[in-house]
Amino acid sequence: MKKASELQVGDELEGFTKWVSPERVEWYDSAMLSAACGELSQVGVNIHTDEAYAKEHGLPSANADGMISTNWCQTMLMKHFGMDFVKSGELRNKYIKPVPIHSALVVKGKVTGVEQTPLGKLISMAVWCENDQGVKMVDGDAKVTVTS
Amino acid sequence: MLGGYISDLEKGDVFRPAEYVLTAFMVREYAHGCEENWEGFHTEDGRIVRPPSMVHVDKMRILEVNTLKETRIKFMREHTPVTSDPRIHYEFHVINHSPAYVGDHIVVTGQITDRYLKRGRDFLDYHLEVHTKDGRHICTYKDKTLLRYRPYEETK
Repeated sequence: MKKASELQVGDELEGFTKWVSPERVEWYDSAMLSAACGELSQVGVNIHTDEAYAKEHGLPSANADGMISTNWCQTMLMKHFGMDFVKSGELRNKYIKPVPIHSALVVKGKVTGVEQTPLGKLISMAVWCENDQGVKMVDGDAKVTVTS
Repeated sequence: MLGGYISDLEKGDVFRPAEYVLTAFMVREYAHGCEENWEGFHTEDGRIVRPPSMVHVDKMRILEVNTLKETRIKFMREHTPVTSDPRIHYEFHVINHSPAYVGDHIVVTGQITDRYLKRGRDFLDYHLEVHTKDGRHICTYKDKTLLRYRPYEETK
């Protein structure tokens, strides 16, 4: 993997594939709830955790919380940029298609711009997630100023 | 309008701030939940740092103190049946300014910047700022939420 300071336009970030299991979805939702209230908590029925509930409300199936894909995009950025992302990074994601449970999600990124600034090297990237058919499910972009 | 349901929120509503102390438990739970195990979260100046995407929890917290008829965190914990159409998170946008450390007293402020119909669907735009109590800027967060999901055919 290239050092962040050596990235150039066109370079692909080191992405990965994860399986969106119902356990992972429930795990995240319960963890988010626990973090929100400061106590261990268990999420109940919602469009992410219950197939029947999701279909009842017009969705084709239960789907992953959009934040799961954002967290995984963030993981990719942390791997490449570390604390530079925490201190100055920017991440935007649009959840353009529902990610169904029992599907694969492929996290990807590509450098679209490199600009020297007084604060460091500003790296601009396209960041997105696809399913295993190559269909984009989550769109987005990111920027990080590399200081080291 | 504040004090009611999330669906009562309007463009220009300025939220009452939400405040809390970031604990190791909160960070641990969130990091576990998204399988985030980057070593640096444990080692920055010997302090634990929260994953930046945890700002989404700040959105839940500020709603909790401003939409008193629909306290999502409380409802989720108590498994209160949800009778309204589901909301869909459409866009996440964070700009990081500095780390949030365990022990920091976090202050979340913000407002609703827009509410509009697009293709028959009702959208709400949020703008939040997160600081420590002593004024250090942690992040800026913008969010777009679809208020009531219904299949497109039903919105015509």
